Amino acid sequence: MHVQTPVRLSAAEESLVAQLESAGAKDAAERLRVVGLPTRRVETYHYTDLKTLLSAVPPLAAPANEASAPAIDIPGAYRIVIANGVVQSATTAPAGVIIGKAAGSVLTTRDDVIVRLNAALVGESLNVELAGSVDPVIHIDRRMEGEGAHVQSGAKIHVASGASATIIETISGSDAAHIGNAGSYVSVGDGAEVTHILVDLSARQAVNFATVEYRIAAEVKLKSVVINAGAHLARVNIFADFVGEGAHGDFFGLNVVDTDEHRDITLDVTHGVPNTTSAELYKQIARGRGRAVFQGKINVAMDAQKTDAKMMTQGLMLSDEAEILTKPELEIFADDVVCGHGATCGDLDDTHLFYLMSRGISRQEAETILIRAFLAEITDAVEDEYVSEALSGIVERWLKKDA
Amino acid sequence: MSTPLLEIKNLHVRVEDNEILKGVNLTLNRGEVHAIMGRNGSGKSTLSYVLAGKDDYEVTEGEILFNGEDLLAMEPDERAAAGVFLAFQYPIEIPGVSTMTFLKAAINGQRKARGEAELTTPEFMKAVKDAAGLLEIKQDMLKRPLNVGFSGGEKKRAEILQMALLQPQLCILDETDSGLDIDALKVVSEGVNKLRSADRSMLVITHYQRLLNYIVPDLVHVFSAGRVVETGDKSLALELEAKGYADFDETNAA
Ligand SMILES: Nc1ncnc2c1ncn2[C@@H]1O[C@H](COP(=O)(O)OP(=O)(O)OP(=O)(O)O)[C@@H](O)[C@H]1O
Ligand SMILES: [Mg+2]
Repeated sequence: MHVQTPVRLSAAEESLVAQLESAGAKDAAERLRVVGLPTRRVETYHYTDLKTLLSAVPPLAAPANEASAPAIDIPGAYRIVIANGVVQSATTAPAGVIIGKAAGSVLTTRDDVIVRLNAALVGESLNVELAGSVDPVIHIDRRMEGEGAHVQSGAKIHVASGASATIIETISGSDAAHIGNAGSYVSVGDGAEVTHILVDLSARQAVNFATVEYRIAAEVKLKSVVINAGAHLARVNIFADFVGEGAHGDFFGLNVVDTDEHRDITLDVTHGVPNTTSAELYKQIARGRGRAVFQGKINVAMDAQKTDAKMMTQGLMLSDEAEILTKPELEIFADDVVCGHGATCGDLDDTHLFYLMSRGISRQEAETILIRAFLAEITDAVEDEYVSEALSGIVERWLKKDA
Repeated sequence: MSTPLLEIKNLHVRVEDNEILKGVNLTLNRGEVHAIMGRNGSGKSTLSYVLAGKDDYEVTEGEILFNGEDLLAMEPDERAAAGVFLAFQYPIEIPGVSTMTFLKAAINGQRKARGEAELTTPEFMKAVKDAAGLLEIKQDMLKRPLNVGFSGGEKKRAEILQMALLQPQLCILDETDSGLDIDALKVVSEGVNKLRSADRSMLVITHYQRLLNYIVPDLVHVFSAGRVVETGDKSLALELEAKGYADFDETNAA
């Protein structure tokens, strides 16, 4: 039998092991003690070496007794707050919406440390059932409140067959060195049309981890948008599984990074059945000494014939010290498919800048116009006017903030 | 006599290691329209870019005075606010920037730089409507991103629309006629003619005498190998049309 020598644990790893043990998650604690947090040698964390990047872990969160303002306020939305992992009572649910909660995590078992931590440490999860044509936008407002805390939260969203809904999840909270770990499981029934958005707006002192799983049934139209605009260290895992034929998914994402922020979106799409299509567009914009990471993998199973999947990633570098790292990957086992990926990265186009300036637009405004144009493809992807406006607002705030 | 609007004196310009302009001299008085004709590659667009302030060019000698002031010391946006406008030979497409947003930013950017009040939205809309009407441009086109998907001719027309809207003192038209169909050439020329006035000057770069039947110039300059080699009245354009550039090349070589 091969006995693995335990790695030397960092202070952050020691704290995590202790927290897992205190929660009775013996296996997860043991696993972490043996392998530690992922380093750059672990493929899926190659650009986000958590062992180096995660320096301290605050205590596990206690229920929140204060509340910050919602990070974004979407007019007419039905809002449900999860504060420090505890589902708060909401107002009467609108037609077609059933709200509940359940003990434990919502995530599928996966070989990923963020998923394992969420699975072991989450106390309770929100449960949202959506049926019919749900009119108001559903806003799941996850907060990390009070002193710096290690906050786990979960939400399971089930969209019934034939239903339509727009769901936005935001992560925000007090200005403290929190670590968030948000799990979302979104299951979309046959023929449903869903827009699901996740926006990280947590404080700069914070670290945020999130995992989103999509289960996509037949004839579904899914639009997924993930925006990383908070936390100095952020990592979002997106797992999307096509399990029914005739479905289409549009996947959009955006990393905006500044100063010494490090934000990562890692996508894993699996076309597991024939006749499904997807389009992925992920954009990254970096200034200061920020580092933005996008890893995208598209898997096509052996019998998933007629899969059509096109992944694109675009980077915009606004400073010499910034870094944009991308790794697109295709793993295709079927033979009758159309799959591809492309990547571009550069700074603002000088000929564009000159054209705008030659009409009397100042350099600074011309740059802003071009950056906004770069980002608009993501924020405009959302049909709901108020939500799209809110997303543009996030971009505007970032643009106005002096790096 | 009052200060000329534009004085180009012994202008030498390099791009990378090539000297493209080799001593351009040109004086444009207020209210005048001058045509510039010359072979492909003789440096006409280079001159227009240098006037507009594109920064890939190195001025090694000479100066440009605009209203008596050093134009070369100004940034492109400052030049625009001061009244310089270049209608590009090849207008570029900028995806993601709506034409209307762009036009508003341009007009208000210039007004702000000149210390004037910004236009209100209704004022702006009216100004655009008037300019679009002048050039027979459909409002639909203005709803698209800047120049994106515009045909060659539509792009040229859109350049002149911008010119009509921004009301510059110096209009530089770099081959605005190329790519325009016969009817469009007429519409655009009429639009340009309506903009002619005693305190607005134009530099019209073209290969074709026909444009000058519509936009009648006060003077015609022949450009060859990076400088003005001959200046005459509008009959010079007819002479060029008949004889070609060969005679003027010799003048240049001498
Ligand atoms: N960025 C550049 N690098 C190198 N050479 C350049 C550059 N820009 C222009 N040139 C050269 O300078 C010369 C003049 O070009 P310019 O575009 O000014 O000519 P033009 O007179 O406008 O020609 P046309 O009638 O074809 O429009 C050409 O030989 C061109 O190749
Ligand atoms: Mg030219």
